[in-house]
Amino acid sequence: MNRLTTTVMAGAMVMSSAFTGVAQAEKLVIAGRDGGYGDALELAVEAYLAKNPGLEVERLELTGGGLLEKVTISMREKSGAYDVIMLDDPWAVEFMSKGWLADLDKLGGGVGEDFVKPARDVSRYPVGSGPFYAVPFVGNVELFAYRKDLFDKYNLGRPESWTDVLAAAKTISENEGGVSGAVFRGKKANPIVTGFLPILWAHGARVVGADGEARLDSAAALEALNLYLELKNYAPKGIETYNSTEVRDALMQGTTAMTIELWPSWAPSLDDPAKSKVPGKIEIMAAPGQVQGPAPMLGSWLLAVPADAKNPEQARDFIDFLTSAEMQKTLALEIGIPPTRSSVYKDPEVIAKYRWYPAQVEALQNAQPRPRITQWSKVEAILGDYLQLALIGEMPAEKALSEANKKIARALSR
Amino acid sequence: MHSPRYLSLLMLAPALCLLALLTVYPLGRSLLLSFFATEYGFEGASFVGTENYTYLFDDSFFRTATWNTVAFTLMATVSEVALGLMLALMVTRSFPGRWAVIPALVAPYVLSTMVVTAIWSAWFHYDFGFLNNALRAAALPPVEWLFDPDLAMISLVLVDLWQTAPLTFLILLAGMQAIPLEVYEAARIDGASPKQILITITLPLLLPHIMLAALLRSIDSFKIFDKVYALTGGGPGQATETLSMFVYRLGFRFFDVGLASAAAVIMVIVAGLLAALYARNIIRSGSDVA
Repeated sequence: MNRLTTTVMAGAMVMSSAFTGVAQAEKLVIAGRDGGYGDALELAVEAYLAKNPGLEVERLELTGGGLLEKVTISMREKSGAYDVIMLDDPWAVEFMSKGWLADLDKLGGGVGEDFVKPARDVSRYPVGSGPFYAVPFVGNVELFAYRKDLFDKYNLGRPESWTDVLAAAKTISENEGGVSGAVFRGKKANPIVTGFLPILWAHGARVVGADGEARLDSAAALEALNLYLELKNYAPKGIETYNSTEVRDALMQGTTAMTIELWPSWAPSLDDPAKSKVPGKIEIMAAPGQVQGPAPMLGSWLLAVPADAKNPEQARDFIDFLTSAEMQKTLALEIGIPPTRSSVYKDPEVIAKYRWYPAQVEALQNAQPRPRITQWSKVEAILGDYLQLALIGEMPAEKALSEANKKIARALSR
Repeated sequence: MHSPRYLSLLMLAPALCLLALLTVYPLGRSLLLSFFATEYGFEGASFVGTENYTYLFDDSFFRTATWNTVAFTLMATVSEVALGLMLALMVTRSFPGRWAVIPALVAPYVLSTMVVTAIWSAWFHYDFGFLNNALRAAALPPVEWLFDPDLAMISLVLVDLWQTAPLTFLILLAGMQAIPLEVYEAARIDGASPKQILITITLPLLLPHIMLAALLRSIDSFKIFDKVYALTGGGPGQATETLSMFVYRLGFRFFDVGLASAAAVIMVIVAGLLAALYARNIIRSGSDVA
């Protein structure tokens, strides 16, 4: 054997062993959210890697819109790009009904009874009865927050209806310098819609009826929108661009009397004097009612394994680790991620840190999901466009609802 | 032996193949998809004829996006060419520190759009932004740069102007430096004033470069997406929704691929007409100059 042949063979063996090594390395690709959720995933991944030293994890931190776009394209192309994906619960219907997710029952483990029922129900398809395609990760439920000290100062009772909210916003806004009456997310698409839905539902109106038809062209919906638009008079300037950061800042800086929409994961530090100017002064409750009682909105984030995942068993194992009672407690205490397990809400250490958790879990147990239709993302985007046109005064409320209804009807028919 | 014609075709083949793959195929596919109702490709698509086009022409959001795009293109192109021309006229002469001024003027163009939008987003902030702080310092009321529907588009033009006027400046500066100095000397000997020199010599000789700058900027402005996406998301309301944003939302948020393809086809036709118009004028003004 001459020197050249020996060199070539040695090179081939080195390359071969290198590629074999690459092929043998287990890899988990996770597509998740940014912000607090991203911090939670990072913490959990580090803990998981400590238990699985041979594993390689690639984690994508994306905005809500970016995540939906990326995972939807991946599912449609069957690219097998991700092993674990995070899903907002309204997206899940489309993902489950189109067969894009792996059946978690078949992968083993199921989803235990410890998970709160509404979040558990939206993790299966058909909703509430079919196999599990996801595991509830974040126990978000839409809440309402108000400044107890200001309400006491102006002899205002706890707001039981949206009319009370409007009256309180007017009183405080007109009398308390530097404090707006109310704050909410006015940004287009999902933010403005989630802020408006509790008001719409409390008025007895619906975006999509039980029959699957568009139902926004109703007198109740118009009444709800008019109330919402009136609230803008007592909101800070630029409310049209407000998202969760601005709402949280206004609340914690003490520059607003109420936020009509508060998600627990936004504000785990409400009582921390280092971060809040009004510690202990904010009261949290389920959103008020109107012609109907309060219907807190479910905003669960779920974890799922795509049907085309390259490493489904490992993905399922990671999800079990991430949603274990122990990890949920850690994430609640360290990051402020609201748990989805009832047992964690009863943990004295957790309750000691978050005094509102008993009220929160009660709201979560009674939470209502958004319509379980495959076109919800599209419907939400359409409604968001028209709500904002009404909010900035570019379109009268009645026309905004009627135009939105027409487009939603078309979206539902396709 | 091959004829020169075959040889030239052979030499052009790689470029033609790339053009077919990257331009002709996507365009053809989009054109076909525009006649279907589909969420993704042709699988499960149903033929709807011209329904997507009819829907678009009937849709007030599409009309608004078209108008916004045209308005942005006109405002951005005119202001960028005008500013580029003014800067080029100022810098074409030698003056102390010229070596430092030119790189400073070009600097915004080398920044990525995401960095530019992050900078301007901070500057536009109503309460803490640099622009409103400056206005307050001058005892003027703060301005709702991004959430006043009448002002948001102008704010976007301002950002685009800041970032891309350096390109028109460079094109026009290069054009000015290509004008023979003898022409100016002869004009001065004949007693022409600086204003006459500008109007009768500089601008006419610079016209092909002005047209080129306008062509490049208008095509680029017509497809504006990144700044809108990062700064306003198309809002407030529909005030800054452009055709690219409209197509993106239809295609990647709604997955209404048939409708998005129809809107994209209309965009391509308008952009193509615009480019053809400019190209014709450039060729004509180039041959006039020659």
